Amino acid sequence: MSVVIESIHKTFGRFNALEGIDLKVETGELVALLGPSGSGKTTLLRIIAGLEFPDDGPGNIFFHGTDVTERDAYERRAGFVFQSYALFQHMTVFENIAFGLRVRSRATRPSEAEINARVNDLLGRVQLTQFAKRFPNTLSGGQRQRVALARALAIEPRVLLLDEPFGALDAKVRKELRRWLRAFHEQTRLTTLFVTHDQEEAFEVSDRVVILGEGRIQQIGSPAEVRANPANDFVRKFLGLDDESELLIPSPLHEGSRARELDAV
Amino acid sequence: MATSATTLEPAPPQEAPRRRRIPRKATTEPLWVRLLLITIAVGFIAGFLLMPLFIIFKESLLKGIRVYYDALENPHAVSAIKLTLLTAAIVVPLNTLFGVAAAWAISRFSFPGKRALVTLIDLPLWVSPIVAGLMFVILFGRQGLLNSLFWSGGKQVFPILFEPAGIVIATLFVTFPFVARILIPLMQAQGSAEEEAALTLGARGWQTFVYITLPKIKWGLFYGIILCNARAIGEFGAVSAVSGHIQGLTNTIPLHIELMYNSSQMEAAFALASILSMLALLTLVLKSFFGWQAERQAKEALESTP
Repeated sequence: MSVVIESIHKTFGRFNALEGIDLKVETGELVALLGPSGSGKTTLLRIIAGLEFPDDGPGNIFFHGTDVTERDAYERRAGFVFQSYALFQHMTVFENIAFGLRVRSRATRPSEAEINARVNDLLGRVQLTQFAKRFPNTLSGGQRQRVALARALAIEPRVLLLDEPFGALDAKVRKELRRWLRAFHEQTRLTTLFVTHDQEEAFEVSDRVVILGEGRIQQIGSPAEVRANPANDFVRKFLGLDDESELLIPSPLHEGSRARELDAV
Repeated sequence: MATSATTLEPAPPQEAPRRRRIPRKATTEPLWVRLLLITIAVGFIAGFLLMPLFIIFKESLLKGIRVYYDALENPHAVSAIKLTLLTAAIVVPLNTLFGVAAAWAISRFSFPGKRALVTLIDLPLWVSPIVAGLMFVILFGRQGLLNSLFWSGGKQVFPILFEPAGIVIATLFVTFPFVARILIPLMQAQGSAEEEAALTLGARGWQTFVYITLPKIKWGLFYGIILCNARAIGEFGAVSAVSGHIQGLTNTIPLHIELMYNSSQMEAAFALASILSMLALLTLVLKSFFGWQAERQAKEALESTP
């Protein structure tokens, strides 16, 4: 499913968080929203999810051609993974994942057997089958992150939104999860946007990188494009390229952008 | 290997006198300080909390169980007990509702005048209850501010002042802050991340409240309700002002106790006092029980770790 964002503005009091954002994410793309803190990247992600609403004006958001700008979060079916996981502390891992299915209206709610099957399948996919009956506060950071992911996937989201998904994890787990996310995306081709301030992460995982700064999109492009041709001083400075030294950027994990990278060279 | 290891070690002190050390924590104090503090604490509890309780029950049973029951079976006493329970039954659910609504609004939204509202919620705690009671007398009284609304031909249009309704309103005012005050910091600390997660998973507002927020604030809410209830049952000052002390109609337990005491019917006063004390003890037991439940639940969550 594609996501189209048209001239979105957002102010908090006198602070302009977003000043006219236009962005099109194609079906099945994995896009990184990259930028320093305060650049508006998380705000943009929250607006897509319906957790914030853009300022009145011409701005619109389309999910696969349907205008969802006025839709509430619960109607959008956008899977959201929070930076702090936001797991339901009083529910087991199993119930956390089942929540999105249980709150559906009677007409669309799956049967208990279907819920069981779906949750167990997801537990297997995130390798947490033996943790089904545990409570979130007994899990490690990486395990919590995977529960949050499984919970978001349980609702069969139309788009997956990840807010600094690996931010709070240690370096080793972070690398593993990054690879896992890329492999998972290759499998499912679920349209995915993720927010990060870590360029290494953005370049390694995503198909395209959107660089945000001061409430505006500074550049959009594949990791190789952005690296080869920084659009302006902001991007150059943010990537640490302003002193003309070559930055060590890890080669992407996936074949698609590796080919593109080779093209660029 | 062994020799090289030993050479690296500093030479052990020869024939060092071995002192026996009693393991102790850095935060502990000398024995006499600990004993003194424990004595003060226990002595205070015994003298100021347990002794009065004991005296109440002893005095109420001084002239035998028969007199005790007679005092409680007195129709005025029965009516006072009924009115007190009725008041609590109306006031506590209403203030629970107000408290949750106020805490929700204050912790989840920002709006102009929020700080003022937080301060105003505390108002009933700052004002002496008798002043609050007098305020209602002035408001609803014959020469009151709203007399054109509430009085007609020397009679009250809605029976409020010197009626059970007045007791309920005064109690409602005095006990308003308890639930809200406990929930506001709790809900502010918890934030709304879990609620946001529930929304993105397709839960509607009411589902989010019932399945996510309520379980999170459950114990705090219960604690607030217990406090609110205790105060509603025991309130004297505000109720005294609006009651008019009509025996059998507008006397609550505390007011009836005062009446008995002033008319030197000590055993009756103490009999009712013992009822109030028992309600307080029941409150305490309930509070401990639910606190214990909460702890057990938290423990179970931890013990599910293999």
